[in-house]
Amino acid sequence: MTIPFTHMLFLAILLFVMGAACAMTRKNLFLILIGVEVMLNAAGIAFVAAAMRWLDMNGQIMVLFVMTAAAAEIAVALALIICFQRQSGSTNADRLSLLKG
Amino acid sequence: MNTSPLLGTIVFLPLFGALAALLYWHNERTCRLLALTVMLADLVLVLFLFTLTPHFREPAGGNWLRVEDFSWMDALGIRFTLALDGISLMLILLTTVIGALTVLISWNEIKEHVAAFHFFLLAMMTGVLGVFLAMDVFLFYLFWELQSIPMFFLIGIWGHERRIYAAVKFALFTISGSLVMFLALLGLHLLHARQSGETTFALHQLIQTSFNLPLELTFFAAFALAFAIKIPMFPLHTWLPDAHTEAPTAGSVILAGLLLKTGVYALLRFAFPLFPHAAQLFTPLLLILGLTGIFYAGWIALAQTDLKRLVAYSSISHMGLIIVGIAVWNLTTLSGSLLQMINHGITTSALFILIGMLDERLHTRRLSDLGGLWKTLPVWSGFFLFFSLASIGLPGLNNFVGEMLILIGTFTRQPWAAAAGFIGLLLTVVYVMRMLRESIWGEARISPGIADLTGRELTILIPLTVGALWLGLHPGPALELFGTALTVPDLVKGLPILTP
Amino acid sequence: MKPVLFLLLSFPLLGALLVSLIGRHLSRRAVETIACTAVAASFILALTAFLLSGQKAYSLTLARWFAAGSFQVGLDLYYDPLAAVMALMVTFVSSLVHLYSVGYMRYDNGYIRYFCFLNLFVFAMLVIVTAGNLVFLYLGWETVGLCSYALIGFWYEKPEAANAGAKAFVVTRLGDVAFGIAIAICWVTLGHLSVSGIHDSAAGIDASRAGIIGCFLFLAAIGKSAQLPLSVWLPDAMAGPTPVSALIHAATMVTAGVYLLMRFFPVIQASMPLMAVIACVGILTICFGALGALIQKDIKRILAYSTISQVGYMFLALGAGDVAGSLFHLIAHAFFKSLLFLGAGCIIQALHEEQDIFRMGGGLRQKMPQLFWLFLAGTAALGAFPLTAGFFSKDRILLAVFLQPQAGYKLLWVIASMAAMITPLYAFRLFIIVFFGKSQSPSGPAKASPTSVPDVMTRVLWPLAFFSVFLGFLNLPLNWAGKEWLAQYLAAVPGSAMELHASSKMESAMQLGSALLTIIMVIVACIYYGTRVESVETGTETLLSKMQALFRNGFYLDRLYQTRITAPYRAAAGLLWQKVDAGWLDAGLNQSARSFLTLAETLRLWTTGRVSRYVSMMVAGFALILCSLTLAWWYLLI
Repeated sequence: MTIPFTHMLFLAILLFVMGAACAMTRKNLFLILIGVEVMLNAAGIAFVAAAMRWLDMNGQIMVLFVMTAAAAEIAVALALIICFQRQSGSTNADRLSLLKG
Repeated sequence: MNTSPLLGTIVFLPLFGALAALLYWHNERTCRLLALTVMLADLVLVLFLFTLTPHFREPAGGNWLRVEDFSWMDALGIRFTLALDGISLMLILLTTVIGALTVLISWNEIKEHVAAFHFFLLAMMTGVLGVFLAMDVFLFYLFWELQSIPMFFLIGIWGHERRIYAAVKFALFTISGSLVMFLALLGLHLLHARQSGETTFALHQLIQTSFNLPLELTFFAAFALAFAIKIPMFPLHTWLPDAHTEAPTAGSVILAGLLLKTGVYALLRFAFPLFPHAAQLFTPLLLILGLTGIFYAGWIALAQTDLKRLVAYSSISHMGLIIVGIAVWNLTTLSGSLLQMINHGITTSALFILIGMLDERLHTRRLSDLGGLWKTLPVWSGFFLFFSLASIGLPGLNNFVGEMLILIGTFTRQPWAAAAGFIGLLLTVVYVMRMLRESIWGEARISPGIADLTGRELTILIPLTVGALWLGLHPGPALELFGTALTVPDLVKGLPILTP
Repeated sequence: MKPVLFLLLSFPLLGALLVSLIGRHLSRRAVETIACTAVAASFILALTAFLLSGQKAYSLTLARWFAAGSFQVGLDLYYDPLAAVMALMVTFVSSLVHLYSVGYMRYDNGYIRYFCFLNLFVFAMLVIVTAGNLVFLYLGWETVGLCSYALIGFWYEKPEAANAGAKAFVVTRLGDVAFGIAIAICWVTLGHLSVSGIHDSAAGIDASRAGIIGCFLFLAAIGKSAQLPLSVWLPDAMAGPTPVSALIHAATMVTAGVYLLMRFFPVIQASMPLMAVIACVGILTICFGALGALIQKDIKRILAYSTISQVGYMFLALGAGDVAGSLFHLIAHAFFKSLLFLGAGCIIQALHEEQDIFRMGGGLRQKMPQLFWLFLAGTAALGAFPLTAGFFSKDRILLAVFLQPQAGYKLLWVIASMAAMITPLYAFRLFIIVFFGKSQSPSGPAKASPTSVPDVMTRVLWPLAFFSVFLGFLNLPLNWAGKEWLAQYLAAVPGSAMELHASSKMESAMQLGSALLTIIMVIVACIYYGTRVESVETGTETLLSKMQALFRNGFYLDRLYQTRITAPYRAAAGLLWQKVDAGWLDAGLNQSARSFLTLAETLRLWTTGRVSRYVSMMVAGFALILCSLTLAWWYLLI
């Protein structure tokens, strides 16, 4: 039993949109980070699905890269958030507006 | 052809000097001496070129006195090409002389960041010398930018009260002009590459590009805009009075003596030969703008209250006449315009230097504060009178010859323009008379006891005086250098007016 | 000939250079000696050249000056009888004025500047006289203007002196614009600028072209010679030291315009309308100057207006085609007018800088007897008293005008003769009021008794007085069994060969008539001015007082220029600067630069600094890109 490619693509899109919505609407830095992670994993699902569809291992290899990058990224991001939380006592993203023009 | 890189040395010696000056940031006197030595050495090299002139006529192949050509960025077709003809020779002589003088001028005036000041000063000299010698258009553009940027800092750091405003204005004007030129330059390069299959920025090859007229007009307008801003031509002149008023004396001198000349030179060397048909179509406009500039600036100069601003407007007025000479484009007017560039470099620089010396003593340049200076500062006043008279074109002094050649040459083609030019000279007399009346004549308002010119100051002024007299009484050699350079085919391709 | 002429020019120049460069390190006596020697040597050389030349014309080149393309100019000289006579006169009068100045400037500390510019002036004047081409002539022309400027404004701390200098320079420069254009036209139409070349080609050119060239030369001459309508600078120029007024503003520089026209007379001659215009300007100026001189109070201003008037006679003579007559009057005028000015200088110094003739207290005849006779000689010559130089020269001009065939010249002759009657009137008015005037002048008490002036100042006047009286015999009319030596000597000069075909009976009649008229006018002047004190203006506006005010103010010409030209020009300069340049052009360009700033201000509102906003933007952007890609893809497929 194989799941149709389009279904997997739909799942990926759904996850991506949910992640993006989370990243866009949430104010807590952690939740934004989670949203970003969800988006990354949605992309990963799309890669895996594509690899299965065309029987090409490059897609799966790409997922490994994405996961590595995501791990590295989450480490840096968490460190930054903790740093910020120590400074300002908050994890509210809206207080992080030093780049305001 | 590729002999010793003499021209390259002349161009880059000031830049090396500039870097070396930074190393002596802790010792001001060494800095000044170093800069002076470098500029004097450069001057000696240029004079050396004069002695070599006859020898180099042959091997360089007739047209040029000397050509130095090195490969540089071959993939992009950019070469390091410097070439010397009579026009460049006179202009680099002027550059090195004024360069050496500006170091002397700043000896007491500049007291802060001395090393940085000399760094910018010398770096600018490299830029100016490069502009006068580069025959690769891309190289020319690099030098063109190199000469503007240090001036921004010279005005912005060592200027007077409104220095930031003036510096930013200067930078915005010049850079916006030169960016447009850069676009046109790239377009020209690509067009030529498409036509001939060669990627090159060499002037003598780009000259062979053929255009359709709208494109040629666009390119010419882009080049001319950059040069017109630098000259500065009538409606684009408003940066100059501010820049002059706010700049330190050395800055004003370089601005009037050298930077303005690069605009005219580039118009003559690049814009006209590259786009001859467009240039001919633009001639009436240039003529009218030049004449308008003479009258407009000459008239406004009368109302000025600040000596430096007055001379700045007079500078615009004088440059108007030079533009007329270029626009008419025949051998007489071109010789006149080139000579007038040197003359204006000497006369106006001298006036700015004198005003700077006055400012150092009295801390004012307002005409209403002056008066009767002949009584307190007779030697200063004597020089001021001399250069003012040179500036109104008294025969026997330098400006007369240039003005006469331009106007006589103009008269053969555009009698009304020439007649207007003669009347324009009258406006010069009016404001110079007022300037003299309110500065050196009249009741003495300055308390006595102020020291007259020192030996250093005389050392600055005497070469300029000699130059003014020399070019006024015996301009033959200089005109001969221009004359031979002007009959070079490269320069005049497509402009059939010139006959030897 | 070349070395003589070279030295003739170089001595005064060398003198000027020496005085200006090392004068500060020399004693006063040394400076004076250098200056005087230079000019005296120049006079001797002028005499040598005169004796050597033998009525021939010499064209020679001292050096090349500048050249571009086909346009070439050299330092050329042209020496012919006309130049010879002028050079002699210039150097002679200059030498005397230099000597006089040693006395006159004895207390002044600016003597280095004074002698430097005076020497330079002699050099420049000699350049005008001997220049062989128009451009070199222009060098002299402008340099005399410079010297005039510097010497009028010599006492620069007095505002009126400093202003007068600038005014003189600007007004004469107005004429020089025309000179420049004349040079250009000559070059373009004739193809050369040399004096001899222009003489040669003058025969071949048509009247209209000659008229144009001549017209511009004439305009240049008007400026330099203070003719109408550019006469306004000369009365003000009297602010300079008196010897300067004598040399520059009476004897030499103001006649340079006349000389210019004489030099290029073949061109002028070719156009009859131009000749008529010259004659008319001459006659107008004669009347203007004479009426102005009649009513002035300042002794120097009287002489200045008189100069304007007398130079008008020279123009009239040229307008009548009589070069020899014009030169004759020029030379005679140079002697008697410099005599009068120098004499006036003695009086002024003796009376402690008093220049108002009504405050001189009269009675100078007893106190300065030597000067009385000298001044009388000058006055008589100015008033054209029979047998003096002025008599013969003025008569010759009137005769030349009368002999012109056109009817209009007869009218000119009538006016000129009437104006010639005013001349003795104002000349003797001056003389009588100064030397015989009543000391009960209402303007204030008489000055203290005059101090003595150095001997040198009166001694140099004798030669001038001698020539003022006897110079007429240089060019005795034919009916006096004379040979018209001057006219003969000038015969070879192109354009000057004019014979006055008058029967000796008519000539005698005219001379008799003018002699009688002059004597009558002198008697009238003696009676009128000798018996009554000048009426002081009261508030009443009679016609007479109005006329007097009109004449005294030079027909309000000066005020007209002030209010109609100078003031508007100045005001417009300020407006142009504040309103147009700063207020419109500069502000506009600044505004266009500022519009980028406004744009940036608007754009930066996008940058909220909120992460969520950034993410939304990014997503929206991606969505936009994806959509457009899809659309494009779809479009390509269909």
